[in-house]
Amino acid sequence: MRPDTTTGATSGDPVVELRSVVVAFGGLLALGGVDLDVAQGERLAILGPNGAGKTTLFNVVAGDLVPTEGSVVLKGVDCTHLPSRHRPRLGVGRTYQKARSFPGLAVGDNLYLAVVGRHGRQRALLPRSGDHSWRDRAAAAAESVWLYDRLDTRVADLSHGQKRQLEIGMAIVTEPDVLLLDEPASGLSRGERERLTGLLDELAADSTLLLIEHDMDVAFKVARRIVVMSDGKIVASGTPEEIQANALVHEIYLGSEALT
Amino acid sequence: MTARRLLTPANAALAVLVVLLLALPAINSGFFVTFVLTQALIYGLIAVTIVFLTSHGGMISLAQLLFAGIAGFMFGNAALESGARGLNLGWPPWVAVLFALAVTTAVAFLLGALASRTTGIYFLMLTLVYGVIGYTFFAQVVTVSGPGGVTSIVAPEPFTDRVNLYYAAVVLSALAYLAFRAIGRTNFGLALQGVRDDPVRMSSLGFNVPLHRTLAFTLGGFVAGVAGLLNVWWRGQIDPASISIGPTLIVLIIAVIGGISYFEGAWLGALVYVLLDTYTDSIPLIDRIGLTPDRFNTVIGLMVLLIMVLSPEGLVGILERVRRGRGGASPSEHSIELPTTSPTPVQTGSGREP
Ligand SMILES: Nc1ncnc2c1ncn2[C@@H]1O[C@H](COP(=O)(O)OP(=O)(O)OP(=O)(O)O)[C@@H](O)[C@H]1O
Ligand SMILES: [Mg+2]
Repeated sequence: MRPDTTTGATSGDPVVELRSVVVAFGGLLALGGVDLDVAQGERLAILGPNGAGKTTLFNVVAGDLVPTEGSVVLKGVDCTHLPSRHRPRLGVGRTYQKARSFPGLAVGDNLYLAVVGRHGRQRALLPRSGDHSWRDRAAAAAESVWLYDRLDTRVADLSHGQKRQLEIGMAIVTEPDVLLLDEPASGLSRGERERLTGLLDELAADSTLLLIEHDMDVAFKVARRIVVMSDGKIVASGTPEEIQANALVHEIYLGSEALT
Repeated sequence: MTARRLLTPANAALAVLVVLLLALPAINSGFFVTFVLTQALIYGLIAVTIVFLTSHGGMISLAQLLFAGIAGFMFGNAALESGARGLNLGWPPWVAVLFALAVTTAVAFLLGALASRTTGIYFLMLTLVYGVIGYTFFAQVVTVSGPGGVTSIVAPEPFTDRVNLYYAAVVLSALAYLAFRAIGRTNFGLALQGVRDDPVRMSSLGFNVPLHRTLAFTLGGFVAGVAGLLNVWWRGQIDPASISIGPTLIVLIIAVIGGISYFEGAWLGALVYVLLDTYTDSIPLIDRIGLTPDRFNTVIGLMVLLIMVLSPEGLVGILERVRRGRGGASPSEHSIELPTTSPTPVQTGSGREP
């Protein structure tokens, strides 16, 4: 199901539905009533200045935060109060802005845990033949984020960029239907960014991608629809071309920066 | 697992050590074996549960001696037919064993569930509170103990024999060591280490973090309970003072001087502690420098300080460094494959919680 590039709308069923979502931290409104529908197969980029509420929006979708008000519906299921640990089984996978892998474990074990988290047998004390295929999947994911030769390296011994790569690997290894990437390109070199763009282009056509990205090259190349946030609200939404032409967006977000 | 994978140098060394320990009574079955070594093995078996919970779960527990104590008290109450104190249920000894372990495990599960949402210093304090409550309970509830404790406890056959009890301590220690090491590679053990490193990430990957903590705590309580049974058989009695704060801290110190991230450190630390505790007063002229027996804690304290200054990873950490320093002509994998992408790894990206 390809998004309709002229309007930014898609033909798929909605997989993420946010209704008047409010998140308040004390007196601060990190999200001040956000409505957002994301259709299956959609490639959506979320832009916005620092503190706009982008990560908070992800936290609400992934279940790390319960919204103060409003509702979160994933694949037609009301998940507003569903703890984050039940969401991988709904097909939600995410990365964190600051890499949050397990420093004391090897790269392969990090990826393997992500698979176990989605598919169960989390408390198993005995190995089972099926575990091998999970290990194979972990190895394949390591390969696609260029960490294959680091499978046995402890994460604590990885470089910053490699930790970012692993972060993406841990999200894609579960083959999520809804993939949330929080600034995946930050900390990557130019060459790595290009490889990342290629990787995201190869995602299954029916998987849905929500991408927070400051790097316009990556955002405009990958996304078919762009949502711009500011001060906890969605202020603009449209195709990359529409957003580039939007004066308000230039004013609040891009300032003097020119869109390329 | 293939035979080839089992035949690592570490496993071979362990096998040799166990055989030597099992053969030892044939040469000498006196005080050193049945007093010093048995006691060290029992302390080690309790301390290794602290090492497991700390190194794999990030949970520093001060309740492990309590679980050993609960098992001991329960066994004494259930097995004795008549005695000055306790319930004197008079059950067959092996039924009493099962009962003691069941109660200990159940209590560990409940207390673990209660503590499973806390971490760090709060977890430590909570387990300290468990220890204090446990102590107070046994000191004040005279139906099960009272301040004098339960005495004249007899081990089930064949462990009335001191050498057999020593064998049991060797075998159970080896089993616990192997089991804890193996658990680290299972789904459960890997997940537990994930919980240690980043519980929030583990939740969002789909894991039930409190349940993992609870089950690990339960396992630690069970193993400490097994050690508690050996302990009560070895001493023939148990009183609340034996699970008070002083001994609780000693078990923690044992785990720390051995090396809090090495399972073998638990037994090494226990051996060092028991040797110091037993033989300090026979060092010639020791009392001349003012070290009367009631000041041995000072010696132990200084030892702990010395070891911690030399190596935060404890005695095993020191041994590791010596081994690597001598035989380490071939550098480890990591030192070759230094990260190449960024010259200075950014520490803030590690995701580890404070
Ligand atoms: N746990 C929290 N407690 C208190 N305030 C928070 C918390 N998380 C976020 N905030 C605040 O909410 C606002 C939105 O934060 P959020 O992280 O969602 O912004 P963002 O758009 O992701 O910004 P950035 O581009 O810097 O990542 C910010 O003002 C932030 O300081
Ligand atoms: Mg953010």
